[in-house]
Amino acid sequence: MAAARKYAVIDPATGKLDRRIFSDQAVYDDEMEKIFGRAWLMIGHESLVPAPDDFFHTYMGEDPVILTRDGEGRLHALLNMCRHRGNRVVRCDDGNAKRFMCSYHGWTYRNDGALEHVPGESEAYYGALDKAALGLVEARVETYAGIVFATWDKSAPSLEAYLGDARWYLDTVFNRRDGGTEALGPMKWLEPVNWKTLVDNCSDNYHVPTSHLSSARVQTRAIGRPPLSHQDQFASPSKHAFVNGHSITFRDADDNRPRYVHGMTAENLSLFQQHHEATMPEVERRLGALRAHRVQLGNHSIFPNGILGLRLALPRGPLKTEFWHFVLLERDAPEEIKRALRIGSQANNGAAGMFEQDDVDNWRQVTEASTRHFGRRHKQDLSMGLGHAGAHPDYPGLVSERYISENNQRLFYRRWEEFMNAESWADIPLDPIKACFAGAATMRG
Amino acid sequence: MTSESSRPAQPAQQALWFELMQFYIREAWLLDERRLREWLDLFTDDVLYFMPRRKNVLRRELHRELSELGDLAILEEDKRYLEMRVARLETGMAWAEDPPSRTRHLIGNLEATPQANGEVTARTAFLVYRSHLETDHQLLSGCRDDVLRKVNGAWKVARRTIVLDANVLLDKNLSVFL
Repeated sequence: MAAARKYAVIDPATGKLDRRIFSDQAVYDDEMEKIFGRAWLMIGHESLVPAPDDFFHTYMGEDPVILTRDGEGRLHALLNMCRHRGNRVVRCDDGNAKRFMCSYHGWTYRNDGALEHVPGESEAYYGALDKAALGLVEARVETYAGIVFATWDKSAPSLEAYLGDARWYLDTVFNRRDGGTEALGPMKWLEPVNWKTLVDNCSDNYHVPTSHLSSARVQTRAIGRPPLSHQDQFASPSKHAFVNGHSITFRDADDNRPRYVHGMTAENLSLFQQHHEATMPEVERRLGALRAHRVQLGNHSIFPNGILGLRLALPRGPLKTEFWHFVLLERDAPEEIKRALRIGSQANNGAAGMFEQDDVDNWRQVTEASTRHFGRRHKQDLSMGLGHAGAHPDYPGLVSERYISENNQRLFYRRWEEFMNAESWADIPLDPIKACFAGAATMRG
Repeated sequence: MTSESSRPAQPAQQALWFELMQFYIREAWLLDERRLREWLDLFTDDVLYFMPRRKNVLRRELHRELSELGDLAILEEDKRYLEMRVARLETGMAWAEDPPSRTRHLIGNLEATPQANGEVTARTAFLVYRSHLETDHQLLSGCRDDVLRKVNGAWKVARRTIVLDANVLLDKNLSVFL
């Protein structure tokens, strides 16, 4: 065994980032082991498997995983790999099944992973096969407000500790209503981009007025979207916070208005306002007055690869990522609001999204630059806002003074180093939960 | 040689087929020549331009293969959204298409069925080749299920459902019109 590699890729004093982490195959292989093999990974949503025996096919990093709900209603995350030779036992995207049969030799597993039937068990194996030890490999599963996470690491902390005080912010969208959320999707496509750039971009509000000006401008004109210039962004009352590895941006304004999201138009604004006001007593009861009135989660990422709610950046080699886009809707929202959010989400994000399609060539060329022999000697500059973030009296995490900052990105790559340099979970620091979680909302919803 | 199937098609059906084929060929040229304002005029004001997701399901569950209207789609656009997509290209800052893609739309396999209300359902298959920047290229294969309506004597698309022959899209984005 070679000595573990020591990574020092981001200089915290200057914000200079070694761009070889976006293209080096050995780094990527290490990430699969030390990050995707250890972290709690977002894999789906309870609403994707609502009934007993439902399953949904997903991934943990590159590994195919079946999210199942067994006959008793318990969730399982099962490696989609027959224990005999390794064929997949599920080839569908979703469905309902009590058993999964491998199409190679017929080994058949129950939807809780147990190996139930092996053709020729007594004849070919002479009754010597240890079936109890040959169930589908199962990951640990926990949920947060209906969102399903899984980890391969038995020594990982609880999901609650892993999310830590990030949940204080995440609750303002995912844990807002008694009725919870439902997931629609996913739409899936391949981007020629390193997965970390997709995650990093979640806190990059600096790119929005340049990358997305065409779409923002025509949508302001046609459907009354708020204007989106650099000046508007710099004057925004929103902030960044970095909490326990997770990158948060949030709107910080007590003006009794809903946060602007894709799908809101001049025509339906009053409907969103009515919904905001009608649900406020419930939201206040669930989240407490401070979070209900002042704090609304914006763009964010959940370490390592959860992006803007339930969207996944699934690594497919250093130079490729499979992107999964879901839209999460409040289950009890009025149909007209759900429809507006669904259409707005699809029109702006996703492979054909007016906003997202303009990102890809930028991100892709960032990834490509890291493969070029001369160019990659020159580091990325993530110096924006250095020295302008710290503790906040009201808000958990390291909070930036401005909405436009690279504080979260610098800390994301520091978190990446912490995982990559750790021998085990015992070496990975975890911020203690310190925030006051006022209100009735819990991890369970 | 007197069987039903070998009899020549009715002249009216032939004329309709020929007229619609011309419509689709003209549409393909408008797209490939980037005459997108003229292309927009081929759609009714109440158009639904819809591209569902396509799932892997067992053969016995093929009725679940396409996501339904009301579920998350790849595209679910009305005329206003289509117009915004064209307008944003005109800003000069729509980076996915500036510099623009080189495309070639090949449309075929037309089946046209007149409906009692005067509309026509028209099904076509397409192969669309896209070349972008230096060496990026993609081939999009699929079909369109259209509902066509005559407006002021001209055919317009009142509803288009585009079904791609893909599960995970292999391409960096979907920034060209189909």
